[in-house]
Parts: sequence; structure tokens; C-alpha cells
Amino acid sequence: MKIVGVSACTIGIAHTYLAQQKVEDAAKAAGDDVKIETQGTIGIENALTPEDIAEADIVLLAVDVKIANEERFNGKKVVKVSTDTAIKSPNKLVAKLHEIVGK
Amino acid sequence: MSEPSLSTVLDRNTIVTDLAARSKDDVIAALTQLLLKQGYIESQEAFIAAVHEREQEGATGIGGHVAIPHGRSDTVRKNGMAIAILRNEIPWESLDETGAKAVVLFTVGSNDDGAQEHLKLLSMFARKLAKSQVVEALLHARSADDVIGAFAD
Repeated sequence: MKIVGVSACTIGIAHTYLAQQKVEDAAKAAGDDVKIETQGTIGIENALTPEDIAEADIVLLAVDVKIANEERFNGKKVVKVSTDTAIKSPNKLVAKLHEIVGK
Repeated sequence: MSEPSLSTVLDRNTIVTDLAARSKDDVIAALTQLLLKQGYIESQEAFIAAVHEREQEGATGIGGHVAIPHGRSDTVRKNGMAIAILRNEIPWESLDETGAKAVVLFTVGSNDDGAQEHLKLLSMFARKLAKSQVVEALLHARSADDVIGAFAD
């Protein structure tokens, strides 16, 4: 399945990127397509396109702060967790996303 | 996408191995001393206060015996990092109930003029710390060269 998401932490220098990498690695290990946008101190990177979002089975927000453009995900299945959860248990998190989507 | 070199962020003058520390405060004191000496920060006290402020917000131990404290402050002159590999693991609030054996302390300036590229390198560095083989090499580093080698591809 295809997972898209956003990671963002309070300072935007470390946890944002740790969470991105952990989720991407876990999702790839589960055989998923995955793209995580980061909203950090250096701005938005790896930005999700409207196509990415349209194709996604589920949206994962690993965020500790309010993010920009959350309304893009209106109408999608959205799961919101803290960056801590994404960093600590990425495999469990991806398994849960599969459960929710039913794939 | 080709990545700029991480070696521009790693500074062997702010890396210490086999550090005998008993507490989080010991480690932060030792690392901020290095940062002060190398001109990354202007005031050790002000930077330590910023680091403590961040610590209050939640655990900076990211699991696997690694902690990544950080502080954003006006006293930061250069964005960068100091790294300590500890002789013995010490207690540190973490996501997986482990303590800290390796501590990577980031400095982040309040103003971001011209610092974007450097911050981008720091973000790539954080991403590296998500890789278990990098962490494994880091925990066993015995010298600054070992630490730098841990982050090499």
C-alpha cells in the first residue's frame, strides 16, 4: 500500500528527521510505498504532491506541533502520532496503519 | 540526489570519547565547554539553559543508548554539534528506557541568516542516527576518527 505523511517536531532539527527515516525504513521493510514530508527549521522538504496524496491509502502525521497545510488531507484516512512514537516503534506503527487500511 | 558532505558538520575538536561522566549534567557541561572553546557558543551558561529548556519538553534519548539534546539560543555563533562517547552508560530520559552511552549535542542559532545549508546537514545527520548500523558503530567508537567513521557511508 502507499503511505504518505508529514513529520515535524518542536525545534525542527532532529526528531523530525529521525522520525522520517524510521518510518520510511519500516514501511519499506513491510513492502509499502512511502513518502514522508518534513517540516523543520529548514522549511518543507520532500514535499507531498497532490498526486502523492491522492494515491495514498493512508496519511501518517508524526507531529509534535501544528503543521502547515493539514487541510490537504481532508477526506483521507489520517493517523496522528507524536514523533516519539514514530521513532520508538516504527514497525508497530506501520503494522497499525496496515490494520486500519485493511491491506 | 547527491548529498553534501557530512564531514563539514563533524568537528574533531568537539568530539570526545571514553568520557568518564556520572550524570547528564556532567556530559552537558563537558560538551558545552568544548563548544565554547571552539567558538560555537558565546555563553556556556546561556546555552546550558537553552538545553535544559528543551529537556523539559520531553525525552531526548532516542533509544538504543543514544541521546540528542539540543538548544536553540541567541548565544549560538555557529550551528554544529559536539559528541561524547561515554565510558559508562548514564541515566537519561529516553524512548526505550535505556540510558545514554553516546550523546550528540546540537547547537542551533535563533537567527537563520546563511545557516540553512548547515542546518540541512544537521538534519541529514539526524537521519543517519535513525540507522542501527550507524548507532552501533558510534557506541563502540574509541577515538574521534572512529566517531567520524561511524557516520561515513
